[in-house]
Amino acid sequence: MTIERELETIDVSFNVGPQHPATHGVFRMVLTVDGELVVDLEPVIGYLHRGAEKLSENCDYRQAIGFQDRTEYLAQFNAEQCYVIAVEKLMGLEVPERAEYIRVILTELNRIASHLMFMGAFSADLGIFGTLFMYAFREREHIQELFEEVSGDRMMYSYFRVGGLAWDVPDDFVERTRVVVQQTRQGIADIDGLLTQNEVLLARSRGIGVMSAEQAIDWGFSGPMLRASGVRHDLRRAEPYSIYDRLEFDIPVGEQGDVYDRYLVRLEEMRQSVRIVEQCLDQMPKDGPIVTAGLKRVLRPPAGEVYMRTENPRGEYGIYLVSKGADKPYRLKIRAPSFCHLSALRNMVIGHYMADAVIILGSVDIVLCEVDR
Amino acid sequence: MSAAEERREPGVKETPVVPPPPGSIADTFKKVLPDVEFGASQGVLDVVLTVPRQDIPRVMRAAKDDPRLAFDYLRCLSGIDQMEQGLEVVYNLYSFKHAHNVTIKTVLAADDPQVETVTTVWNGALWHEREAHEMFGIVFQGHPDLGPLLLEEGLGYYPLLKAHPLAEIEESQEDFLRAEAPAAAAAAGAAAPVDERAAKIALAQKKAEVMKKAREEARAKGLSPEDEKAFVQEALKSLEEGG
Repeated sequence: MTIERELETIDVSFNVGPQHPATHGVFRMVLTVDGELVVDLEPVIGYLHRGAEKLSENCDYRQAIGFQDRTEYLAQFNAEQCYVIAVEKLMGLEVPERAEYIRVILTELNRIASHLMFMGAFSADLGIFGTLFMYAFREREHIQELFEEVSGDRMMYSYFRVGGLAWDVPDDFVERTRVVVQQTRQGIADIDGLLTQNEVLLARSRGIGVMSAEQAIDWGFSGPMLRASGVRHDLRRAEPYSIYDRLEFDIPVGEQGDVYDRYLVRLEEMRQSVRIVEQCLDQMPKDGPIVTAGLKRVLRPPAGEVYMRTENPRGEYGIYLVSKGADKPYRLKIRAPSFCHLSALRNMVIGHYMADAVIILGSVDIVLCEVDR
Repeated sequence: MSAAEERREPGVKETPVVPPPPGSIADTFKKVLPDVEFGASQGVLDVVLTVPRQDIPRVMRAAKDDPRLAFDYLRCLSGIDQMEQGLEVVYNLYSFKHAHNVTIKTVLAADDPQVETVTTVWNGALWHEREAHEMFGIVFQGHPDLGPLLLEEGLGYYPLLKAHPLAEIEESQEDFLRAEAPAAAAAAGAAAPVDERAAKIALAQKKAEVMKKAREEARAKGLSPEDEKAFVQEALKSLEEGG
């Protein structure tokens, strides 16, 4: 006797998150799987929405700087820089040279700190939890200490001001930064040695979550995500702001546009940031003003609109600022790079195994406060 | 720079509307689409083009497909509530091929905030439009899914509209919804109840005015700090009794 029976299968949907270590914050993915294969994914965001844009409309121009720290909590200086430049563009302000150099040193160090955070968290996603996470955080701590000395805070710096900086850096800033840069250079080499040829990383990240250059552009990708897909585009080079036109650095790009390339691009970017910081330390004026003279306490930019964009660790961070001549922004829209990347998560994940979904999400390097604002 | 120039307050002047320089991207747009009415001006960083909303699909399609424009990248899409002037949708575009930028704007009437979606041109617009929909109530026709993204379902108001208050947020959101009902009643002919909150704010403003005036008066008379305090208290008391 033979029994002929076809096995009936159904697709199963389940939640990953909102409270889940692999989602890097409060984020939910509704995964629909056929066995181990992901056939559908729906990202659910908004758990951290605090209305930063609405709040900024009800604060004056200086108070709104604080929301930038809380929006982009891994690259606070970069977010602050974008916002203050937007206001400066509206007001037509020139920033003293020394302040520009200090800003660039801090933002580039912040980029390294943010990428180190990525290295740590990403290796944990891969399942190499422990060693690398600790190495990355040890290096990040050197930078954090420097930031604390400069701004007085470990996380919410609020150190940049429209027209310059809140106060001058400590006397030993240049020497201290040189030490930190030296340590960071060694730290990057350590991470490179530990992870780049790691068997687990190679096996799990190559050929995963591929986005072609056309797709990446179509979905509004920017930063390392875009460059990993082979587009040599960096706002620091394409539309130089601040003093980036005086600095030498390379723009690393990937070839495949997969998760491994995103890792490699970020690793190389850290080295380039070290280069930039060293050039800044050499070129920086020894003393001089750190804030534009003659600024009033309450700022009233003339009526106008500007879309300012800067190259943040996660990509193009944009501030659309509308002024009506009052002391408060009329409208402040934050264009968050993670927000754009996350909208394409479904396209990157579908067709991969369930375990790869976590790796692909990790490679996006999301900051959910930035996504939800 | 003279000392006087150094001390002048930057940013009190009104920004004049400057036409874009000849040969700018605005001219290319006019060449590609000669029958569209473009309003062009030079913004702080980019050229700003204002487009009538019925032309948005045509302009956006051409912006991406025409080789002279080749705007393959949607940088940002924002909604702006301009109150009496209606709602604005702003598209910031970039071209990787030509490395040029443009800002395209369209104005929607506040009572009919509808515009064709651009998700058919750039996939990246999907979430931006969803966000603009839930924050401003702008309807993007043809968008595959305009469900809530950042906010909870069934909220019943659009938080980024200027009509939506922020101060004392917990109460006022409720107040806002409740205020809708009396406003509708007033429109129907019934007398609107006295707005207590507005009255409180008015009283506080009046008090501040009286205090300021009394303090100035006291200073002009040259009273000591204690006497000045008493003088201000007196003025406040007479206001309360009078009101």
